[in-house]
Amino acid sequence: MLKSRKSEVLAAIVLAGPFVALYAWMFIYPTIQMVHLSFQNAPLIGEGTWAGLKNYTKLLSDRTFKTAVWNTAYFVLLTVVPGTAVALAIALMVSRLNGWFQSIILAMFFVPYVLPVTVVYILWDWMVNVQFGVLQPVIALFTGKPVNVWRTIPWFMPGVAIVTIWWTNGFSILLFLAGIRNIPKEIYEAALLDGASRTQVFWRVTWPLLWPVTVLCLTIQLILQLKIFDQVYLFSMGGRTQVTMVMVQYIFEQGFQRNNGGYAATIAVALFVIVVAVSVLQLQAARLRRGT
Amino acid sequence: MRGFLRKALATAALLALTAGAQAKETVVWWDFLGGGDGVRMKKLIEDFNTDHKDTIEIQATTLDWGTPFYSKVQTSAAVGAGPDLMTYHSSRIPLAVGQGTLTEITPEDMTVMGLSEASFAKAPWAAVHVDGKQYAVPFDQHPIVLYYNKDKLAAAGLIGDDGLPKGLNGVDNFAAAMKKLQDGGTKYGLATVTANGDFAYRTFYSLLCQQGGVVGGDGNWLPGDNLQKMVNAVQVEADWVKNGHAPANTDYPSTVALFTTGDAAMMVNGVWEVPTMTDLQAQGKLFNWGVIELPVLFDKPCTYSDSHTFAIPNNKGKPQTPEKHAAVLEVIKWMEDHALFWATAGHIPANKAVTDSAEYKAMQPQATYAPLTANMIYDPQSKFAGVASPLFDAAGNALTPAINGEVDVTTAVTEFRDTLNDLQ
Repeated sequence: MLKSRKSEVLAAIVLAGPFVALYAWMFIYPTIQMVHLSFQNAPLIGEGTWAGLKNYTKLLSDRTFKTAVWNTAYFVLLTVVPGTAVALAIALMVSRLNGWFQSIILAMFFVPYVLPVTVVYILWDWMVNVQFGVLQPVIALFTGKPVNVWRTIPWFMPGVAIVTIWWTNGFSILLFLAGIRNIPKEIYEAALLDGASRTQVFWRVTWPLLWPVTVLCLTIQLILQLKIFDQVYLFSMGGRTQVTMVMVQYIFEQGFQRNNGGYAATIAVALFVIVVAVSVLQLQAARLRRGT
Repeated sequence: MRGFLRKALATAALLALTAGAQAKETVVWWDFLGGGDGVRMKKLIEDFNTDHKDTIEIQATTLDWGTPFYSKVQTSAAVGAGPDLMTYHSSRIPLAVGQGTLTEITPEDMTVMGLSEASFAKAPWAAVHVDGKQYAVPFDQHPIVLYYNKDKLAAAGLIGDDGLPKGLNGVDNFAAAMKKLQDGGTKYGLATVTANGDFAYRTFYSLLCQQGGVVGGDGNWLPGDNLQKMVNAVQVEADWVKNGHAPANTDYPSTVALFTTGDAAMMVNGVWEVPTMTDLQAQGKLFNWGVIELPVLFDKPCTYSDSHTFAIPNNKGKPQTPEKHAAVLEVIKWMEDHALFWATAGHIPANKAVTDSAEYKAMQPQATYAPLTANMIYDPQSKFAGVASPLFDAAGNALTPAINGEVDVTTAVTEFRDTLNDLQ
């Protein structure tokens, strides 16, 4: 008995060892280094000097950092729930189609997801170009004159949010479709026999049974959007970057443009803490909603 | 057996020797030239490789201009993975020297290449030196200039007897000229990048200098009345936008498009757009056009410029072998000698032997604007200045809304100065 447990432990170590070692080397060690770096006055590359809590006190009084936190939160607000809702709506519509027609429509929604961010940027930048953009007549309907979306501060974040939802929605739609297909047909038949209306069927059958998928979508989106960088960086280049700053962009600016490796690490630690806290909170909230 | 081994060893040694003698030296090259000038640089590299078929081969990679290029150079040099040779903006050299990214170009190197101070124009030569040491070899000078639609200017009576534009000097005259052009049915008098304050900084800096102003330096930016002079400079462009002479919030590609489609009669842009015009004209898709030095809107002629240079990265732990170093110097020397072709990209060669040549003096429109090199101003030597630098960043942030009338110009320029003074 004792011997077999011993061999089990050995087997467990052999099986889990490579992963644990790799994980420790590639993820845990860099994370520790990052925290260590955040207490230093260090350039991007090379040795730094110990700075104690200086970087952290600087962070608390840094106006751009506050802007970056606020913008990131605003962006998350604009994309996570709205994006998931749009994906669910599209998935419900696509699921009513059949055969090759469904495949084509699904592919159309999925294509943007395959594009690299630079292509997405150039596409949208031209579509809303203030001189020649095809969308400017639409904008002018509401404002009376062409608007440079990427230089008008109140328009910036909503603009980037719409582009992001358009770009990343395909993946969530796929997840929702898989979820919808997993719901047994019998439940719908039973509901119809009981005389449930279509609204009732959605709220009493589809919605609760899709909830695990919804939570998954929300969590993936939340973590992804907290790390927003590329789109904001590309659309704001050369303009008012300090006002539209988001957190990862600020890490990039401090680390790569200003050569402040230590301070960049400090912002990264702050982002890390926020991502962990928000993810835990969201999982807890999702569990509450499920009633377990 | 022993005899066989000896023979085998001898053969191997002989093979190694001959192989060594025949081995081609490769020069890994990075640049950031992605536009019309990039096409011309690729041609130069091709020609070099053909010329040196048996000795040297340049392996070139073009990277993204600005911050991406300079971040990559800095990080790769620090781990010994940088190129053997790269293009570099002279305005970025002070920062690079501070970061230890560049290898010094020694007087011996210059002797080997047969080049010296006397070979180069004064401004770019000064710009490659930090604390008396040389860190790059100047290749060109690329100021901003005024492009004009000759047909439209002629129709508005703005072309003089010498065939060049007239009546553009002075802020009021310039505005009146733009109005005349617009009255004649052109949508805008002038196109310039109004969506990016960092790009527009080149114009502001020129206009600041035209008033005899200086931008200052570390810890003391825009000192004294230079703040007001900068306000005057930015105000000029803000007024163009306010009065509808120049389009608001317009980005770089749109600026070029507005000019080439004839919607704007003039354009302020870098000399690097010359190949765009040349190529369009060769396809029969462009009007008669020309390029001149920026008009004197204030007291004296003055234009912002920067230089492309050749620099050798300081690859940590991997210093160049003497053979490699010789090959790199050969590449630089060859490029300097063939800079006449580089002039077709709009840039003004730094090599005086080229600009003094009869071929260059016959090249149009290059020869028309080349004399402006007498009135050039470069970025101050500071690790915060240069293309895609914190200074450009501050200009983008503070000055973009001022150009487009969203913020009062004095407030914006004060914010610009304060941001610069806070840098450390």
